[in-house]
Amino acid sequence: MSANVRSTRAADFDVQRCRADFPALQRHVHGKPLVYFDNANTAQKPLAVIEAVDGYYRRHNANVSRAVHTLGSEATALYEATRDKLRSFINAPSRDEVIFTRGATESINLVAYSWALPRLQSGDEILLTQMEHHANIVPWQLVCERTGAKIKVVPISQEGELLLDQLDALLTPRVKLLCLTHVSNVLGTVNPIARICAMARARGIPVLVDGSQAAPHLRIDVQALGCDFYAITGHKMFGPTGTGMLWAKRAILDAMPPFMGGGEMIKQVSFEKTVFNDLPYKFEAGTPNIAGVIGLGAAIDYINALGIETIRAIESDLLVYATQQLNTIPGMRIFGTAPGKAAVISFLIEGVHAHDLATILDTDGVAVRSGHHCAHPLMQFFGVAATARASLAFYNTREEVDVFITALLRARAMLL
Amino acid sequence: MSVANLYQQIVLDHHRTPRHHGVLAQATHNADGHNPLCGDHMHIELCIADDVLRDIAFNGEACAITTATASMMSERVIGLRREQIETLLASFDASLRATPDANAAVDLGELEALSELRRYPARLKCALLPWATLLAAWDIRISITTETAESPLP
Ligand SMILES: Cc1ncc(COP(=O)(O)O)c(C=O)c1O
Repeated sequence: MSANVRSTRAADFDVQRCRADFPALQRHVHGKPLVYFDNANTAQKPLAVIEAVDGYYRRHNANVSRAVHTLGSEATALYEATRDKLRSFINAPSRDEVIFTRGATESINLVAYSWALPRLQSGDEILLTQMEHHANIVPWQLVCERTGAKIKVVPISQEGELLLDQLDALLTPRVKLLCLTHVSNVLGTVNPIARICAMARARGIPVLVDGSQAAPHLRIDVQALGCDFYAITGHKMFGPTGTGMLWAKRAILDAMPPFMGGGEMIKQVSFEKTVFNDLPYKFEAGTPNIAGVIGLGAAIDYINALGIETIRAIESDLLVYATQQLNTIPGMRIFGTAPGKAAVISFLIEGVHAHDLATILDTDGVAVRSGHHCAHPLMQFFGVAATARASLAFYNTREEVDVFITALLRARAMLL
Repeated sequence: MSVANLYQQIVLDHHRTPRHHGVLAQATHNADGHNPLCGDHMHIELCIADDVLRDIAFNGEACAITTATASMMSERVIGLRREQIETLLASFDASLRATPDANAAVDLGELEALSELRRYPARLKCALLPWATLLAAWDIRISITTETAESPLP
């Protein structure tokens, strides 16, 4: 499981060989080959990830950082190796700033409760955007309820881009934190994070970036972005569920109290007083998802071996093709048309409900998501209750797009 | 499994031209139903006199299954008392489950067409939302969701 494999170039990419790495892609659904277009929901896992999880349980199963025996050291080494891989994946300055969590949701909650809650006062503001996932809305509402702080929202254009002049105007001294997604899970919009962080930094406002949808598609460099917090979820980047990461600058983490109490996060406990462990362990109470984290390490190796630039190129090509084909369908409405967007396409066909569409597509083996995508405020902005969403990954093909389009036409003919 | 069995002609007909769609001039009861899983919303108005449902109308934003169910349901429930509607719902509900109740007492009529939903468990709530909203309206519960602990579903 070494990461020494050199990145593939897009031109050399062999999609069929790549697909062979993903057992679930070999499946049939209702007698049809699976066309998995629900990658923004969760991605499929390559064998390397499945085997890393399996290998941990078969060979190395032991708790981390506690056991002196051989298995304990092996488990700890494998687990900690993922921290190093994540550090370099996001170009963090230090591995100590990489905190394992159960996913982006927990990462954001950690910041909400350990960083924001003790600081917020009545009259303060948390600035969000219209395109946030509920995971980057609800934790802020909860801490605002307890502190009297208020939520303000950066509006977007019909194309699905943040209105930067409005963002600028909303960055007042009352704002204690700006929280925004790197890539929209509904629109595919890639937000100009570096530019936005520069705007916020000029006013001394820290920025939390939800990188859930960025990690599988983009090169991430937290230092170049200039953000203060960055959240990632493992299952969308081909890793196991229940894994994720919060990155934050050391000075910020040092100043934060622990989120949860328990084992692993302490140096010394008496019933009078506990001395907390050093970073990152201060924020990692209890026995973690060791197998999952080891699997996440294998997922990062897989992405690196393929090369994130290659992934981006393949997905852009698929996105252009799928968008072209979709636009040939009468009554097609695509939500999110920002330039440079990721391969996430939310859409509706006039007169056809997204749910009916998804049910009919499923019987053709095509898996898409239908619903509000945990983004009610965004649905309200576009004035719809639900959309269908096709989200693509590097292992998808133009032939699959063709199957998808044929299935859509069949569904449309059936329902209209 | 053929999805055409679910979206069969009778279901599509009710979806394309829903009966009792709109509002009532003189509603005595009304309620809003939500399916938070998909964002669907249904508003139902009732006219109840002497404990009998005299008229019903529905509107809102919903999928073909929910709309067709509401339309077929509306045609069936006028003239019924609450207990009769509950019995009808119990039979309808049983028809949607993997093991339909062979002794289901009530002839479901057109609603039988929806029993194909038993092959689509993810869509069951689409067919139950109109019923839940109807019963909520009867109780003048102004807003319900398919996710409440004390859902009026049997
Ligand atoms: C943009 C965004 N943020 C946060 C999340 C939450 O991720 P998780 O449920 O893995 O914590 C998701 C996943 O749906 C997402 O798309």
